[in-house]
Amino acid sequence: MSAPTVFVVDDDAAVRDALSLLISLKGLRVSTFSCGEDFLAVYEPRWRGCLLTDLQMPGISGLELQRQLAERGITLPVIVLTAHGDVATARAALKSGAVDFLEKPVDDDVLIDVLENAIRVDEERYRAQALELHVSQRLERLTARERDVLLLLSEGLQHREIAARLAISPRTVEVYKARMMEKLQCRTLAEVVRIGAEARLRPAQ
Amino acid sequence: MTQFTSAAVPAPLLGRWNYRSWAAAAAYIALYVLCDWLSYVQPVLKLGITPWNPQAGLTLIFLLTVGPQWLGCTALASFLAELLVRNASPTSLLVLAASVWIALGYGGLAALLRHWHLDHHHPIRTTAAAAKFAGACVGVTIVIAAGYVVLFVASGVLPPEHALRALPKLLIGDLTGVLTLTPLLVSTRPWGAAPSVWRQHHWQLLGQLAVLILSVWLIFGLPVTLQLRFFYLAFVPVIWISLRWGLPGGLLATLILQVGLIIAVQDETPSPLIDLQFLMLTLSLTALLLGAAVTERAGVLQRVAMREAEQRALLTMSPDGVLAIDAHGRVRMANPAALELFGAGGGLAAATSLREWLPDLTLQEPVGRATLQGRRTDGRNFTADIAWARLDPPANAGFMVTVRDATERLRLQGEARERDAGVARAMRFAVAGELASALAHELNQPITALVSYLRASDILAAPFSRENERLKTTLGKAAHEAMRASEVLRRLRDFYRTGTLKREPVHLPTVCGSVAVAFQDRLRRANASLVTHMGGPLPMPQADAMQLEIVLHNLLANALDAVCHSTKARRRIELHVGGDAEEVFLRIEDCGPGVAPDLAGKLFEPFVTNKPDGMGLGLAISRSFIRASGGELTFEPSGRLGGACFVVRIPTRGPAES
Repeated sequence: MSAPTVFVVDDDAAVRDALSLLISLKGLRVSTFSCGEDFLAVYEPRWRGCLLTDLQMPGISGLELQRQLAERGITLPVIVLTAHGDVATARAALKSGAVDFLEKPVDDDVLIDVLENAIRVDEERYRAQALELHVSQRLERLTARERDVLLLLSEGLQHREIAARLAISPRTVEVYKARMMEKLQCRTLAEVVRIGAEARLRPAQ
Repeated sequence: MTQFTSAAVPAPLLGRWNYRSWAAAAAYIALYVLCDWLSYVQPVLKLGITPWNPQAGLTLIFLLTVGPQWLGCTALASFLAELLVRNASPTSLLVLAASVWIALGYGGLAALLRHWHLDHHHPIRTTAAAAKFAGACVGVTIVIAAGYVVLFVASGVLPPEHALRALPKLLIGDLTGVLTLTPLLVSTRPWGAAPSVWRQHHWQLLGQLAVLILSVWLIFGLPVTLQLRFFYLAFVPVIWISLRWGLPGGLLATLILQVGLIIAVQDETPSPLIDLQFLMLTLSLTALLLGAAVTERAGVLQRVAMREAEQRALLTMSPDGVLAIDAHGRVRMANPAALELFGAGGGLAAATSLREWLPDLTLQEPVGRATLQGRRTDGRNFTADIAWARLDPPANAGFMVTVRDATERLRLQGEARERDAGVARAMRFAVAGELASALAHELNQPITALVSYLRASDILAAPFSRENERLKTTLGKAAHEAMRASEVLRRLRDFYRTGTLKREPVHLPTVCGSVAVAFQDRLRRANASLVTHMGGPLPMPQADAMQLEIVLHNLLANALDAVCHSTKARRRIELHVGGDAEEVFLRIEDCGPGVAPDLAGKLFEPFVTNKPDGMGLGLAISRSFIRASGGELTFEPSGRLGGACFVVRIPTRGPAES
């Protein structure tokens, strides 16, 4: 995982230079590209951060760049920055997944807000992906009995009801529950219920 | 093959020498001999001279109708007459030669008259034709008579000292016969009307006949010494009848008169014979020329009457007012349309001056046009399109003037001008908008950089601004001003933005029609043609009609410019309009030089043009208009015409709303 970076794509060299200077002074990492093709050519999946792109450029336009990113499954948040703001293009940009739409010239506070927000969105997305990976790893460690207890618990059943359902003693249920919670690193029942809900979506192999 | 040829050769001969001609020839020969016998009064100097020779006229009639190639019959008839009437010797070479000479002479005359179209197909209707006919007859008969006399002198029958005396007598008899009979009988056409004339006017005709007979009786009823003294009386009925009935009547009267004279002089020959001959010739000539003049006049009158009737009908029907103006500027005639235009329902008042109706019109040029105010009799004015022409010299009495109410024309012109002005206004607005938009875009880039640099400077200057507050505020002000400049641009752009888009179902044929009409003059001046194809039933797309008109206007103007730069002989622009339930398209193709490949890619960007005086905004505006309606404007090379092709596509449901 690399440090979050703002990737700036703009055909105007002065705009590129000024924006990267401003953004870096605001404490964010910046990388610039003069066109969408260049960005697509060197992109690596491990890159974190957000994409700040101009709309009208020679070669592929901002909207086209957005479309190609989506096609490749790249979830980097896109912010469209245009000198030609009108409702129709803004709508088109937002519809195809841009997180925000800014008009040139843009106020630095607004810009930094939007960029930080986009980076946060990216981080959350990343963490959610990581968590998901984590949960499924932990679920794999459960035994069949422990998994049954987890599922029934998350359905809201009492220990005695679970014992009756599984034809074991309530005492044994408590043992399974303690072991299961330890394996899942859960401290509260609420966490158990949440993971249980996810486990139901992913049946054991 | 040989059989076929031998059978085929005589065919034209048989066709030409048909039995009707032979029957005519036989009748002619019999009549000739009969006429000779009837008109032969006395032998004069052994030449067979008679006061008049009807057989000469008969001969010319025969040769004119069946053709001069039949002159053999004339020789035969003449020879037979000599034998039978004057008991000439059948072996006389002189008589034979004389007959052949006469036949040749009349054959020649017939050929000449045919050549001049004075035959039975062309009745004499004018004095010019009558004079030509008389002249030809006089000339040829002189030649015939001279040859005849020479023959007789040469053969020793006639003493040379008598030759000059015999010549006129011989000549005048023949001439009288020809002049009286030939024009009378050669044409059957005027006689077609004879039965109806007889039915209507038989009392008059009988009276005229009686006067004719009376005049003959008066001439010859007197003792022989006084005869011919009253011959001039014969002119009275002949002139009367000629004046009344024209050429056929006059010649018929002369014929009757001459037959009467022959009958009258059978018993006692007036002396001298030449007096009678000259009088008869004069009578014939008078009847011929006077009758022709009367016939001609009747024809002229009829034609004039016909033309007048046509003109009257034309004037009555004419939707335009027509005025005849005399030399003093008074309205001599006004047709119904003119009376209606000027509100003179009651008809044309006597001595109406043109000044009352068209006060501003001055008729100085021989031909002219003007648009000016006309004044109705009720005092109201109207705008009139006027055209006038001076009448030609014989009728040099004034002018003909046509008047047309120009109100409707001016109204339509005004509407067209207003439309054009509306389009031009919308176009100017669109140009300004496109300009503002392009300007905003181009300037926003450096302003963005500027603002960002200033903000960066602000951050970079932070350590110093603690000591120098003014640096921080100055940088802040600079950034603020840059933002303000950008704001000005934004407002300018918003002002011209196509926010006032009117969306309604557009009837494409109407839009195309009105643009085509607007281009008519320019196309004509450029000698270019615009061909419009409308395919099938067209759906009505949701769009702004005015904007679409501007787009079409731009594209057509480009096409016209392009074809004007083309060297092709035929400057052609095609507009294809078609569509289906989903979308409509308009394709404008031209035969111009097309678009250079380096230009084609950025054709629709603002300020891109290949015209020296162009702004390069037309296509940019057109594309933004079409896109605002959810459509697309594209360029491709024209395959068929070899120039450029622009395609407008507009969805029928309008832009997708979401």
